[in-house]
Amino acid sequence: MQKVCLSILAVAVAVFVLWLPFVATSQINDWMFRVAMLCILAVSWNLMANAGAISLGHSAFWGVGAYAGVLSANSLGLPILPATGVAVCAGAVLGAIIALATGRLRGVFFAICTLALSESLRTTALMTPKLTGGAVGLFLVQKLRPGATELFLIGTAAAIFAVLVSVVLAHTKFHYACRALRNHEGAAQMLGIDPRQYRLAVLAISGALASVAGCINAWYGGYLDPNIAFDLFVTVQAQIAPILGGLFTIAGPVVGSFGIVFLSELSRIWLGAHEGASQLVFGLVLIVGILFMPKGIYGSLLRFWARRAGPAVAKPAGGPATIIPQVQP
Amino acid sequence: MAYFTQLLIDALLLGGIYTLMAIGLSLSYGVARVINFAHGEAVMLGAYGAFWGFRLLGLDPLMAIPAVAMLGIVVGAIVFRLTILPILDSQQENQILLTFGIGLVLQSLAVMAWSADERATNPDYALSSFELGDLVVPGARLIGCAVAGVLVAILFVWLKFTELGRASRALADNREAAGLMGINVPAMFAFVFGLGVALGDTTGAIVSFILPVTPFMGFSILIKSFAIVVLGGLGSIVGTVIGAFVVAFAETAVAYYVPDGNGWAEAVAFAILFVVLVVRPNGILGTQATL
Amino acid sequence: MRAFIARTLAVALGIGAAGVAGAAEPLKVGAALELSGRFVAFGSHCKRGIDMASEALKRDLPGTPIEFIFHDVESNAASTVSAFTQMTSEEKLDFIIGPIASPIAASAIPAWRQARPIWIVPGASTVTLEKEIGSDLNFFHPFPYAYQYHVEIAGMLKQYVNTKTVSIIYTDDDYGRTHLPLAEKYLRDAGFTIVSEEIVRANSADMNSALTKIAFAKPEVLLALMQTTDSITLAKQVYTRRLKVPYLIGTFATQLKEWQDAVGLAQEGWTGLASYLPNLVNFPANPDYPKLLPTTSDWEATFRAKYSQEPNYDDAMCYALAAAMAIATKNAGSNDREYVAKALRELDINTVYGHLKWTATEGGTKQNAFDQMIIFQRQGGKSVTIYPPEAANGKLQAVQH
Repeated sequence: MQKVCLSILAVAVAVFVLWLPFVATSQINDWMFRVAMLCILAVSWNLMANAGAISLGHSAFWGVGAYAGVLSANSLGLPILPATGVAVCAGAVLGAIIALATGRLRGVFFAICTLALSESLRTTALMTPKLTGGAVGLFLVQKLRPGATELFLIGTAAAIFAVLVSVVLAHTKFHYACRALRNHEGAAQMLGIDPRQYRLAVLAISGALASVAGCINAWYGGYLDPNIAFDLFVTVQAQIAPILGGLFTIAGPVVGSFGIVFLSELSRIWLGAHEGASQLVFGLVLIVGILFMPKGIYGSLLRFWARRAGPAVAKPAGGPATIIPQVQP
Repeated sequence: MAYFTQLLIDALLLGGIYTLMAIGLSLSYGVARVINFAHGEAVMLGAYGAFWGFRLLGLDPLMAIPAVAMLGIVVGAIVFRLTILPILDSQQENQILLTFGIGLVLQSLAVMAWSADERATNPDYALSSFELGDLVVPGARLIGCAVAGVLVAILFVWLKFTELGRASRALADNREAAGLMGINVPAMFAFVFGLGVALGDTTGAIVSFILPVTPFMGFSILIKSFAIVVLGGLGSIVGTVIGAFVVAFAETAVAYYVPDGNGWAEAVAFAILFVVLVVRPNGILGTQATL
Repeated sequence: MRAFIARTLAVALGIGAAGVAGAAEPLKVGAALELSGRFVAFGSHCKRGIDMASEALKRDLPGTPIEFIFHDVESNAASTVSAFTQMTSEEKLDFIIGPIASPIAASAIPAWRQARPIWIVPGASTVTLEKEIGSDLNFFHPFPYAYQYHVEIAGMLKQYVNTKTVSIIYTDDDYGRTHLPLAEKYLRDAGFTIVSEEIVRANSADMNSALTKIAFAKPEVLLALMQTTDSITLAKQVYTRRLKVPYLIGTFATQLKEWQDAVGLAQEGWTGLASYLPNLVNFPANPDYPKLLPTTSDWEATFRAKYSQEPNYDDAMCYALAAAMAIATKNAGSNDREYVAKALRELDINTVYGHLKWTATEGGTKQNAFDQMIIFQRQGGKSVTIYPPEAANGKLQAVQH
């Protein structure tokens, strides 16, 4: 019953957000666009985390996607959809390279590697101005840029697509394999799951998604430089959204994206006139959120519903020292 | 080849500074497995502490070290008990994000309180140097190196030979057993974390007369320190020192010999890290298996 | 159809009403400034100048024809785009001032293009801005462009320096990269030989490798193209190693008190460029509005009394611009966008920051102002103007170690 309700709700939301670009004001569309981009990023990060790979360098995919999208437009004259296709390939390739290079590294080791990669890419972009425009930056060729409504529609559609990908994956063996790998890689191997294959698939898919977000965002903004492309804040938001929304869940990244954009705009509008105040609020929210709602908004909701459903609900499995929630739709 | 001796000098001094930067993180992460993404802000606060001491009281930054260190231990321990202890056992990302949030809050408070203007302390030795023919040895960095050396030695001795030090190492090895041995686990964690913060603050005080002090200086220090700690191997102070010098030498060599090298230098540090992690995930001297 | 007619009528009546009643409602100007993030210094000083002007306007230009609505662009591109979208489509603002930093202003261009409000950018020396929108009549640039710095520097060096060898040290950020080709061009045209160019990482902890290579090249002049934080590190390392280069040319940071304080003794001998320096330039008062726009030194005294600090250039500049906008609105007699824009374009007034009159640059900007510059040198802890000759009260001195 719960599942059916949630699915109907999800479809209703999807239809609503697809309708918005045609009727809403620019301001609302701008907000929804940022939610959509963050949503794609959050879904992507969540996918990786579900397989035990914590990424601290998601901005690498974002940046690569952004440059791929803008450069292919500027030098090959590609319109937005083929350019996004190029970004998808670039992201997938980068993900595959990371998977092959890092092999079996897990946890913080993997995370630091991704961070190192992201910073290296930023340096490379800065040091190769002939290719990337360097620090001076790159403008998207004006005439290729589609109208605002079209851009918003594409952004929203991409976000819905990303969520669908995660839904599909969640109902396949792929998902259970990833979760098993996350919990205990040795045991999973004994069951015949090849960690390297799954790691490769996860990173490629995740990378492709994040690159799509970077590409579409670059087309929207119209201007790119290495600091914008490989901005650390992208990485931070990619993590905060699923964690605040509910890690390893499907709706969590979506809920979290709305929350983050909402909060950041609120603090900008109300406190923007005071130096440093908006970043302060963001930090405080992070702290309070982690301390008092470690399962995220959606995760807490699920726990609440589970408790109401009574003692017949199975307790979540997990190791003695860590609390890893079951995946819920 | 003409640059070689100067390169050596520069690299050695830079290695000392990098050791200083990384040592606090090495302690709290390497020994207590606490991920502190606010480490850069600890350095920043120490630097500001030294700056205000210098500006308002005429206090030499080196004299300010005991004060900022004590403050660091106390504040670090309190913050730990209040915010980190509750989530110590949940997912690692939580620690990362929580401490990152703390760092963001500290940075914003610093901007609001002291503005974003660049500061520095200017004791007499800040601009001093020794000249040996064509070679130059900057005095300030030499002092930074010396302090780093003293701190590392003290830390090493403390960890190996004192009761408290051994207790901290026990924590890293096996938390439950340590508790069973009568070690007050939460208190020890708080203390070690506070010590890590104190070391960060000391770094800040030293750095205040070498680099410009701004509220934003923390992040690049954080990334590099993390890279160094992981490179050198978790749980090993000596490893951190080696990691710091490896990074310093690689960066300086590239800066001198590769065209546009200074621009590429930072990427080199990460490239090394990448290679070492892939070839030898424990880092150079690490004792723990991958997490 | 009916709705369309109704809306058009409303707009027309609105304009008419405003024209008749005079500027009864204040003109709303959006101020998109960096009030947090890495460029907070620029944004906060500008806001301070604007606030000070708003207060002065209440007293000295009653009927306060103007009101500033602040938006924090958080020194990043996404927030800038959001802020511009909000200002143009929600708040329907026709006038926007800021942002200040070059990369932030550049990132605002595509968003600006959607509605093309009247845009005043008191900063952003990047030539990108000029190339992209310089020729647009809705764009005003009260600030010098990067190449204008180098015209002056080359002129000054030609006057004073005999052996013509230069080394350039620059950072790999937008500042260094933008200025490098311009410096090269104007120095070469003035007959200088560039013996070495060294790049250093922005926020570098150690520039000694670059300095060692420069020492080997033995230039007469060292030109540093970097922002404040890096030029502090550079100045200290140059002094520490007693670099044997007699002429040290900085660009922008040298005038800032924070730079001078942070660098201490090492500041001696560095030159810098400024459109404005407290206690160094004194522009005459505006005869029509002597209280609002007094002489520069009177204004500085008021600033010091109010904020207990020396004013920065951006305090003075944004004060002058805010006052100028109010005057333009008063001259226009209404809040109608085109009338005010026309009045703005026709301004020809004295301000505390210099004479404000929009002229075209050689690079293609149609409306540029406030780009006069002097070159000064730090001598004995004070700034001495050394160029151009008509403004000079001292000579360029070689640095002794």
